[in-house]
Amino acid sequence: MCCLRQLFLVSLGVTAWALHESDVGMVDWNTKLIGVPHDSPHTAPVFHGDYVLAATNNNVLAALNATDGSIVWRSIYDAEDPIMAFSHHDNSVSSLSGPGGSTLRTYDLETGHLILEKQLHNPVDGRLHEPQNLGISLLRSTNLSLNSTAYFALTNGDSVTHLDETGDTLWTWNSPDQGSLVLYSHLIADPSTVYLVGLAKSFASYTLHVTTLSATTGELIASVNIPANIKDERSKFVAVSSQTGPTTTTCVNWLEDGALKAAVLTPDLKGQIMALPGVKYDRISDFGLSTNGQFLAIKEGGAAHVMHFDAQAYSLRPIWEFGDAAPSQVQSDSHFVGSLGRDGQPRVARVYWSNAHNKAIHQTLTINLSEGKASASGFAFPFQTFDHGVVRHVAFDGSSTGETHENTRTLLTTTTGSIQLWQHDKMQWVREEALASIQVAEFVELPEKKVVMSHAVMDEEGYFERLQRQLSDAKNLPQYLANFARRFATGSYATVTTSAASSSAEDTLTRDAFGFRQIIVAATPYGKLFGIDSSNGRVLWSRVLGLGWAAKVGGTIFPTKMFVTRTVSDPEGPQIVLVTQRRADNSLVDTVLFHVNALTGDDVREEHQSIPRDLLQGLDAVMGPLVDVFMLPNENRTIVMLDEYLQARLYPDTPSAQAEFESFVPSIHLALRTDVPGQRQILGHQLTLNLELSQFYVAYPTWSLSLPPKEEIRAIIPNTRGPVASIGKVLGNRMTLYKYLNPHLTLVLTSSPPSSTLVPAAGGVCDMQATLTENWLVYHYFDDEFSGTGESKGNRVVSVEFYEGDGPDDKTKSSELSSYSNKTLHISAYEQSFIMPHGITAISPTLTKFGVSMKDIIVANRKNSIQSIPRRLLNPRRPKHKPTSEEQEEMLVQYDAVLPDDARLVLSHNYEVATSAVSLPLHLLLESTSLVFVYGLDLFFTRIAPSGTFDVLSENFNKVQLLLTACWACGLRLWLTKPMVRRKWLRERWY
Amino acid sequence: MKMVRTLSLLGLILSWSSVIFAVNLHGYIQWNNLCPNYGALASAKVLLDAGKMSGRVTRNGNFSILDVPPGTYVLSVLSHDYSFDHVRIDVSPSEPLPEVRPYIFGTPLLMTTSVSLPYPIVLIPRHKNRYFSPRESFNLLGMFQSPMMMIMVLTGVMMLAMPYIMKQLDPETLDGLKGQQGKAASIEKSIQSGDPKGLSALLSAGEETKASMPVAKSNTGPSTLQQRKGGKANKRR
Repeated sequence: MCCLRQLFLVSLGVTAWALHESDVGMVDWNTKLIGVPHDSPHTAPVFHGDYVLAATNNNVLAALNATDGSIVWRSIYDAEDPIMAFSHHDNSVSSLSGPGGSTLRTYDLETGHLILEKQLHNPVDGRLHEPQNLGISLLRSTNLSLNSTAYFALTNGDSVTHLDETGDTLWTWNSPDQGSLVLYSHLIADPSTVYLVGLAKSFASYTLHVTTLSATTGELIASVNIPANIKDERSKFVAVSSQTGPTTTTCVNWLEDGALKAAVLTPDLKGQIMALPGVKYDRISDFGLSTNGQFLAIKEGGAAHVMHFDAQAYSLRPIWEFGDAAPSQVQSDSHFVGSLGRDGQPRVARVYWSNAHNKAIHQTLTINLSEGKASASGFAFPFQTFDHGVVRHVAFDGSSTGETHENTRTLLTTTTGSIQLWQHDKMQWVREEALASIQVAEFVELPEKKVVMSHAVMDEEGYFERLQRQLSDAKNLPQYLANFARRFATGSYATVTTSAASSSAEDTLTRDAFGFRQIIVAATPYGKLFGIDSSNGRVLWSRVLGLGWAAKVGGTIFPTKMFVTRTVSDPEGPQIVLVTQRRADNSLVDTVLFHVNALTGDDVREEHQSIPRDLLQGLDAVMGPLVDVFMLPNENRTIVMLDEYLQARLYPDTPSAQAEFESFVPSIHLALRTDVPGQRQILGHQLTLNLELSQFYVAYPTWSLSLPPKEEIRAIIPNTRGPVASIGKVLGNRMTLYKYLNPHLTLVLTSSPPSSTLVPAAGGVCDMQATLTENWLVYHYFDDEFSGTGESKGNRVVSVEFYEGDGPDDKTKSSELSSYSNKTLHISAYEQSFIMPHGITAISPTLTKFGVSMKDIIVANRKNSIQSIPRRLLNPRRPKHKPTSEEQEEMLVQYDAVLPDDARLVLSHNYEVATSAVSLPLHLLLESTSLVFVYGLDLFFTRIAPSGTFDVLSENFNKVQLLLTACWACGLRLWLTKPMVRRKWLRERWY
Repeated sequence: MKMVRTLSLLGLILSWSSVIFAVNLHGYIQWNNLCPNYGALASAKVLLDAGKMSGRVTRNGNFSILDVPPGTYVLSVLSHDYSFDHVRIDVSPSEPLPEVRPYIFGTPLLMTTSVSLPYPIVLIPRHKNRYFSPRESFNLLGMFQSPMMMIMVLTGVMMLAMPYIMKQLDPETLDGLKGQQGKAASIEKSIQSGDPKGLSALLSAGEETKASMPVAKSNTGPSTLQQRKGGKANKRR
């Protein structure tokens, strides 16, 4: 019975809109992304055969195909389970994740199938270090006698676990001081011994501490403090190992007052400290060849030495010097990366930017250890610094190097978040991974296709000239006729299910028949602005945001908000203004505006566009951080920014904008949050001009909402903008419920800290999603109690509707009421709670042109799919009994606590879409259809018609059928009436 | 005072033990025709209480969630393409193994059920998500199957075929039909005019037909045949 009812409910929901298999790729698109790779040593991207392995800032472990850049597989980790380290071995990739490296996972390299998952310690016991993945290391070793691989995992900086291939723990060793004195960070294993190297705190400096364990039993062999006087935080020490035959020799290197010192480790830890005399080094670093005995030492002058530890001779010596590695006016800092060549010999790649050549230079050092020779050669490659910023990390495929540089492959990660694979001096592929962390996105309408008229007012036009012009104007006539004939014959029209992408070869930016093709302008925290074609997801243009004066010291630009200041209907064409906060590396924060033409990405403030494009330079609008920003609904669409002193600053700051702003001032009410420690408040503000205080309008508090102590404000969610089609709802008994449409209605999400400290911080304590549209509030949370709806734990969706007055036919005109009127609180609310099988990560209502269509709720759920919940199911007025005829008239269905989990309501169907935000356009041509753009990690775009596509021809409209029926009916009538008419004629002749 | 202290100590110890006590949950996915292997299932996760604790499903279908403190939990599977049943898990400090019970989503969790499921937990894929609805296409047969269309076609056919059917009927039945029609028409007329005689005639006619029908039927059919045959035979002679 329950099933039947559910089925009925779903059929109600689905009948309005259902996706057909053939629509896939026509009405929607999906871009799978992995995020910008980490660049810290344990998690930086590496080559492994024809794969590139990377762990990213979006907490994804992924394998890319190095040939074409496609994602072979990816594994998305939870936010509370950050990837700390990964390593690869033959056909598998392993990762350590979670606080302190709590979880070990192993994947199949080719398919990404999870082979093993093992928890090494409870995530609650994870210790946090700075940097996050300090004290976490994962080592795979092959046991030749058993012909199996084994894991050595260093977690929490103090414990080592040895696991066999199936994940069974062979032994565990915990440091007796539990990390309070010694923090181990390096793990080196040879067949008999495990070496643990870490730093121990002493007065004013660090010393080294080494512990050796038996590899078979995990018993402590020795634990020794090496008297090292390490002061420099930056480059602490490097542990290298070198293999000679079956034995592995380990050497620890560190800097002491600029002198390089080394200690060769033996299992019993008895040995001498060596020193390399004569040369003063600035820092030493591991560059990927530590298991082969090489590391990098940089001299004080900037020259870089490739150091080699020879295990046979127990000697440490520089084998190559990059003399000109120092950053200067002509060249940037160099990236060094080492890798083993196909012959097992080390290769070192050095990549830097040369200002002299205006190109990036790649230098490869080929080392032949057996002959003791090394040779370097290089080439320049045209790295597009204005499109991709600066190289942040380099990965190098040593096995691709040969006699020539023809096949040399390098993977670059740039500051704008792109991943590029260069083979010699050609870019093979590029992935714009900054799109995985879009901060703000806006839809911008496209202009209509313009019919180019070559006809100018020319009086003295001769006959032939006119003929020529008209002929040239008519050049599209045959095409038009053919199109017309085809349309007439086959009945193929543009329907809502056809692709909005322009099919013509000359790709001009024009809108399609229904306005589904728009530009999505998206800003990322990697300092890049993208213009994306909403019909196919292609990036149309992109601009790198310039840092302005902060370029000298470095900085980051965080997008705050984006406004569409001009649309297609304006003569200037669509324009957007991006409001950002620039955080310079010297900790100064400024508010910077970028004003861009949305169709091309051109800077509006700049008169002449430079070709090739330079960086997009912004306007330093406010010196200091921003408190609030909004756009006035006036003709000029002036942007008002409140700085930290609550002064209102305008953009554009013109006299007309100033005058318009002054006329708006009395009606501006702002709700700002104040962060007084221990007490959170929301303060209402109004603006006033007091020339004694400031030349700008300044906000002063008018009211305050104090929250209980220690209650934190999670989010302030404004009412979703959108036109309101009707102010009331007519009931079955002809009475009307008037919607509570207070324009100042705002949603504030707060959370109190968990009362018990035993509750683990992880696990989504306050994971609440909410949305407010018109008078309808929908929120989602996880209910841990057994009481309430369903008497069970689970995900709850609560739907609340606010109506004016005490009930039907009570009208208070809430939309026009003053906020200070007592009547604003005179409301009645209908509330209903539902349960859902899965949690959700984002929630948004649909938005249509006039707001007439039903509003569905779109949610992104934890199954990585995007789902719509029909309004009908979420109606808080659903009766708990069998609907009466009056209620049936209102199309109310009986209440059922369970929201059906029907696959046909899933908008993203087969796509796996991991996301966290939903964005909707404001301007549409069709009332029935709403566009949905979902971002977060992946990008997904689709159309949804909550009430069915009532304003376009139905998709099963068939012109052939219509024509056939008409013809058939006509023929029949003719055939029937023919004898009658003939008889009539005959009779006429008789009489 | 001492009593209070021991009690508080006891409480502390108890709370400590409840923190310490934890159970490891193990289970596996039972592959079936719907979902034959890991390749079909893709990445899936087993959640306790919608993600408070979780474990991923490995290639051989196994999963484990470690260090589960005592309590009652709802275990669900997060899979993109497959639906699984929810399961209720009870971990109690007194039992070394957790209790596994079926749980129908949407029903009260603490409902007492005697049914107990085996441990390790076995999860069976119940159905595969079907995201698409079939397209309604132009179908000639379908078009003619609609009742409106059928009525239209039928009336058309009848209209055309009527004269031929009339022609095909043999003259006597035609006469009979005509007679009946005429009778019916006259009755109608009489009823319209309100003639009681007509009504009585109708009644008598009804009686008459009732009485004579079987006889007439048995007589007319064969006799006409005979007559015809007779006629034919005469001609031949």
